[in-house]
Amino acid sequence: MRALTYAQLVATAVFGSALALADDTIKIGVIQPLTGSVAYNGAADINGSKLAVEERNKAGGVLGKPIELVIEDGQCSPANSVNAAEKLIQKDKVVALSGAFCSSATAAIMPVAQKYKLPLLTGVSSKADLTEKNNPYFFRSAETDALLAQAFAKILAENLKLKKVAYIGVNDDWGRGGVEEFSKDLSAHGIETAMTEYFDHGATDFYTLLAKLRTSGADGVFIAAETQDGSILVKQLKEFGIDMKVFGVGSWATADFINLVGDAAEGIYAAVPYAATLPGERNQTFVQAYQAQYKQAPDKYAAAGYNATNILMDAIQRAGSTDAEQIREALKATNYQAPNGHYQFTANGQAYGFNAALVQIENKQPKVIATTSVEAPMALAAKGE
Amino acid sequence: MDLFLQFLANGLVTGTFYALSALGLTLIFGLMRVVNFAHGEFYMLGGVLGWFVTSHLGLDFFSGLIVVAAIMAAFGWLVDRVLIERVRGQGEEPGILLTIGLSIFLANSALLLAGTAPHKIEGPLPNAPVFLGPVVLTEMRIFAVAVCAALILGAHLLIKKTKLGRAMRATFQDPMAAQLAGIKTARVYASTFALGSILAASAGMLLGAIYSTQVTIGGIVSLKAFVVVILGGMGSFGGAIVGGLVLGVAEALWGGYVSTGMVDIVGFIIVILTLIFKPYGLFSARAERV
Repeated sequence: MRALTYAQLVATAVFGSALALADDTIKIGVIQPLTGSVAYNGAADINGSKLAVEERNKAGGVLGKPIELVIEDGQCSPANSVNAAEKLIQKDKVVALSGAFCSSATAAIMPVAQKYKLPLLTGVSSKADLTEKNNPYFFRSAETDALLAQAFAKILAENLKLKKVAYIGVNDDWGRGGVEEFSKDLSAHGIETAMTEYFDHGATDFYTLLAKLRTSGADGVFIAAETQDGSILVKQLKEFGIDMKVFGVGSWATADFINLVGDAAEGIYAAVPYAATLPGERNQTFVQAYQAQYKQAPDKYAAAGYNATNILMDAIQRAGSTDAEQIREALKATNYQAPNGHYQFTANGQAYGFNAALVQIENKQPKVIATTSVEAPMALAAKGE
Repeated sequence: MDLFLQFLANGLVTGTFYALSALGLTLIFGLMRVVNFAHGEFYMLGGVLGWFVTSHLGLDFFSGLIVVAAIMAAFGWLVDRVLIERVRGQGEEPGILLTIGLSIFLANSALLLAGTAPHKIEGPLPNAPVFLGPVVLTEMRIFAVAVCAALILGAHLLIKKTKLGRAMRATFQDPMAAQLAGIKTARVYASTFALGSILAASAGMLLGAIYSTQVTIGGIVSLKAFVVVILGGMGSFGGAIVGGLVLGVAEALWGGYVSTGMVDIVGFIIVILTLIFKPYGLFSARAERV
């Protein structure tokens, strides 16, 4: 009850302007967490999406019409995201959906998209089995934990020379998935597991967890956490006097993360599908445009929102109509050049071909140590991995 | 054994923080009987205002804390006079609805003004580790525990020793008799609410310097504060302290020996057990009147 009211309040208060209806626009529905413990990352995703739409509308829109984003707060919760999806489809009549950040929330809206036969693209949710559900309307322009783990296991084993690793993750699908996949792939490279622990979203005090970490005998610690939880965790890790190699997944290579953590951020590693310091002209253009608009460098989620929205708009353009079936067919044939590489979809709707990077934070900047291309699951399977 | 000592130390530190976070609620909920669901948002406002005055207005931590306390006192006073006054004496439900509405309003206004990003408050002491034998703490944590103790003691003395405190106790025992004795009860209600707001906001700012502050933490703070107040007993200062410490230590030991992934379950278990075996809490100040 309370949560529902929250969503409505935020929707009307913050995005009242976006709700102003106009018939001569093409509407894309966006569901992101705008309140709750990942609100910050959800907001970055929205910023990226808005930038993509603005650029596209300046260049004449899609099919001669401007694109309009209709944004709803899914709070990263399955129930609220389903409500938001129903509202976007039934009331706002959007032609495609983008969302819903957390894997559990995305899993909950997938059947809704299928029920109404509407294409759904997620730029963030990384739980591997989402694309294994045989939902023909679902696409994912994000790395899965498994793909990221496979891409990075070798780099981590060779570059960081770890022997025994402790795993810490946030207690949800994404955190557990990340810990499982990385521990599996790192074990395959002969790295022992010293400890596996989870913590709840919104936790603030990690000293108990850190006391266990200190006695675990690990020489490195893997952490799956977002900006809010992760920054507090890393700060306390250094306060606690733990001197281990830290590497994480989540939005770690961002200015906000580094500012929040302060000096304790120096030297930590992050496996990210996107960093503002990635080389390449496309990325520089994107970073400049984003910086001009929001006065900060884009992070992983801003790029995810930007890419997902561009992929959808491209598909609508190529479909030549706003018919859901045609957009779906066009999505399958996606061939999109992003700031961070090249996106194509497998038959299951999983994107591949884009880059991921291992960065190390040095002098408050994420320095790219190595990049690797995220390969299609099929290609990996063929190689016997 | 060393690990046990570390867990115990962690539990006592977080327990003190819980006690301080809950102290304002024990006044407002325990004594005034306003079921204040906006308590966590008062805590959040303290943190966000603290961040604003220290990093944007350039005040040092202590001047900032005084400014925040003054703002929140005025705010608490106004909330009581303008809002709570209208539902006083009408049972608990209107107050519950009112404070839920207030919490939504505050959280979303703060979201609009301060944004979703977590903010860092510069504390007066460094967060460098301090080694006490096998136990690791930071100077800032030790300092925060000391400030918590001082605030708790100060609030206790205010209520037990001053004229205002006597008026408060009289009003909450029997508002009619207090009024007949010449106590301006409206002022007493407002002062108590203001005091509760100050305590919540100071906790928010102090703990914001140790962790970080963000506009979306209200819900979890309210939850823990209610656990502490129910466990300790309504309106009891001693109860809030013991309740906070019990919750902190129980969470630390559960996290240490069972699983850190399900630590929030501890609070719920404690509430259920309290309600079954000791429904008035460990030290209820008002059990005789319920």
